[in-house]
Amino acid sequence: MLEVKGLVTAYGPIEVLHGIDLTVNEGEIVTLVGANGAGKTTLMRCISGVQPVRAGSIRFEDADLTRAPDHARAGLGIAHSPEGRQIFGDLEVEENLRLGAYHRTDDITADLQEVYELFPILRDKCLQPAGSLSGGQQQMLAIGRAIMGKPKLMLLDEPSMGLAPVLVDQILEVITTLRDRGVTLLVVEQNAFAALSIADRGYVMETGKITLSGRARDLIADPRVREAYLGA
Amino acid sequence: MSELLQFLVSGVTVGAIYAAVALGFTMIYNASGVVNFAQGEFVVIGGLTAAFLIAMGVPVFLAAVLAVVAGTVVGILLYRLAIRPAREAPLVSLIIITIGASIFLRGAMQMVFDKQIHRYDGFSGETPLRFAGATILPQSLWIIFGSFAVFVFLAWFMSRTRAGRGIRATASNRLAAALVGINTRWAMNLSFALSAAVGALAGVLSTPVTFTSYDVGVLIALKGFSATMLGGVGSPQGALVGGLLIGLIESLTAGYISSDYKDAAAFIVILVVLFVRPEGLFGKKLTERV
Repeated sequence: MLEVKGLVTAYGPIEVLHGIDLTVNEGEIVTLVGANGAGKTTLMRCISGVQPVRAGSIRFEDADLTRAPDHARAGLGIAHSPEGRQIFGDLEVEENLRLGAYHRTDDITADLQEVYELFPILRDKCLQPAGSLSGGQQQMLAIGRAIMGKPKLMLLDEPSMGLAPVLVDQILEVITTLRDRGVTLLVVEQNAFAALSIADRGYVMETGKITLSGRARDLIADPRVREAYLGA
Repeated sequence: MSELLQFLVSGVTVGAIYAAVALGFTMIYNASGVVNFAQGEFVVIGGLTAAFLIAMGVPVFLAAVLAVVAGTVVGILLYRLAIRPAREAPLVSLIIITIGASIFLRGAMQMVFDKQIHRYDGFSGETPLRFAGATILPQSLWIIFGSFAVFVFLAWFMSRTRAGRGIRATASNRLAAALVGINTRWAMNLSFALSAAVGALAGVLSTPVTFTSYDVGVLIALKGFSATMLGGVGSPQGALVGGLLIGLIESLTAGYISSDYKDAAAFIVILVVLFVRPEGLFGKKLTERV
């Protein structure tokens, strides 16, 4: 479904991704594991188009995304819940969710209800400015906004960042629920164990390269992964 | 009593012009965070284009439409040629660019048009209407209703249309807007175009009453800016109320104190606002959780 080949990108003169190859198949949860600064977020930004690609290619279904403008990708079925949440802080919670469906022209009432059922706290606060929500609620809002786009592929960057453990479990549950409903997910997580425990496959990134990849259960058992990322 | 009424009438008329200018400021500020000091030039371009076209024998309403179109085109060019290429620059640099653009536009208007003062007849004649001892020019009604119509239109456009929602989302968070599929570059173009159109329309409506020449834009922009500050930067209601209040304060100052101090009134208001209530009447204090 998503095929990244030899992807290179740079911030100014500094190359940060040095030829990434990555595939995501339909219906999978794939996770990217790695330390801070490994390039996970940058890779996500390339896929959603807000970071220009210097070399290599990105294919999504039948389309070549490599040079497609950022705003065209939501319509193709890619939703990105970015690092740092990036909500519309001065707009109401519900307006945030409705904007998630900006590219759609069909009826979104049912999807709005669905998001409210996944995250009931958002329903309670639907008329508040999104900037007044707590960090965890903003995270739910960012994920909810991505769901509103009815994507085929969802990119989640650090969905559990800064959340209380009970909320982390709730988010992980939402991710598997989404997969069961047919959404394909690419998830970046600091919490490598949590991410690998729900993923089908995983990639390990180090300083702009993929150093290891495979089935999630094999990665969890891999001594190199255990030592570096699972604290074992 | 009728004297006071007369001052109020002229205050509301001028205030409606400032309100329209302030709405233009608000539009661009909300979309980009930039305070566009070339806003006054849009007003002059509208007025001068209409004056020259009418002098050439073009029918008034056609001339008015063409003048608004001319202002809009200049607004889009301002964004494309001056603001967008510098989009990575800090906000202060962008604001200084708009000051440069306003100087450039003033120079260009001297060449394209001339240095004379221009006016044309009001759309509904020049015979003053009388009520309760005061007189009002029919053109003043055009100005007042025109500004109010602009306010209503913008409020509707920004909250009810897809394009308006796109502009608001772009203003709120450009990255997030791009991610949900909004063409943010187009949204910026559109907000500069709308803002310029509003400014040019204000010029077209006001020129029969206030006259215009290539260099009056600076003062108009500064007064519109005072109105924006008074109303609260970023608030359309604030722009409307702030504009009317500045107009009234100016007209009452001219009437009861001295017309020499008329232009100072707006700037004294800025100072008072900054000391007493920096967020303005309708502005919100920034609250953001990180």
